[in-house]
Amino acid sequence: MTGSAAGGGRLAANSAQARQDIAALQAALAAEQAASYGYGVVGSHLTGAKFTAATAEYVAHERARDTLTAMIAARGGRPRPAAAAYQLPITVTTNKQAVALAIMLERQVAAAYLGLVAASDPALRTFAAQNMRDAAVREARWSDLPQAFPGLPASSLRPARRG
Amino acid sequence: MTAEPTRRLVLAAAAAGTLTLAGCKGISVLGPLPKPGADVVTLRRAITAEELMVARYQSVQDALTASGGAGGPGKAGGSARTLIADLLAEHQAHLLQLRARLVLPPRLATASPQPSPTPPPVPHGQQRILTELATAEAAASDRLIAQLAHVPPELAQLMASIAASEAVHVVLLRRGKIAR
Repeated sequence: MTGSAAGGGRLAANSAQARQDIAALQAALAAEQAASYGYGVVGSHLTGAKFTAATAEYVAHERARDTLTAMIAARGGRPRPAAAAYQLPITVTTNKQAVALAIMLERQVAAAYLGLVAASDPALRTFAAQNMRDAAVREARWSDLPQAFPGLPASSLRPARRG
Repeated sequence: MTAEPTRRLVLAAAAAGTLTLAGCKGISVLGPLPKPGADVVTLRRAITAEELMVARYQSVQDALTASGGAGGPGKAGGSARTLIADLLAEHQAHLLQLRARLVLPPRLATASPQPSPTPPPVPHGQQRILTELATAEAAASDRLIAQLAHVPPELAQLMASIAASEAVHVVLLRRGKIAR
């Protein structure tokens, strides 16, 4: 594997990886955009400390959205714009439903960073893992429940081996 | 955009092929084992860290059982015991998943059984127990994230997920409770 052919192959592989990285960044961006929108709904149904918490999370998702937008642009990609409105997974009319929605939004965000954790660029991996962790932590603050494998689909877990 | 979750990730801890082909002559005839790669070293380190965490929770659990609960036999002690039991179960699940990704050549696996790590002594008092566990969880979470660069994509995803789970544990340990 020497010479210009291999070099060209490496270039092609690099650009394929760069495209994959941008696609993973776009997926994370879409989730952050949806979460920003969703938290607007969450906050409007909460009061007191929970409202304050929802506002802080809303700001966190907006920041992540802006960071992702800049990262995509810096890699020569075109950040996909947010939708004007999002179909929420549940109808929210009570504060209990608002908390349930916040939990769902954080789950979606954690899962959306999983692809980016597999990126070729180590800096992207770290960034993604930290954001996935932040989403899991925010979810736990709403739910008070542990989670063994945040962001991971059950299909990626191995069945228990005997013996 | 997740990496194929079904793809089998096999990390051979040494030249598995060589050992298998050598048949039943034993490990001594093979000479020195080849150095394991960075991915294997990282995975082993993650397994050891998780074993230590399981041992820590088990010793805390034993201490709580012996004393009838860190907060006494009342409600506070009971909820701490529930929290510890639930978090221990999650660490056992982490350990199982990490171990499933390390494929040792059978002879090597039996040749050097790893000693189980010894946890630090359990402090006195529920608050100190929970605080020390939270500190250990936070450090373990950071260490996993710091090592993502050295492993294949699927293992990076598992390690990142476990790091997130450990950070969630920190939240629950600091609150000292769990929803049920």
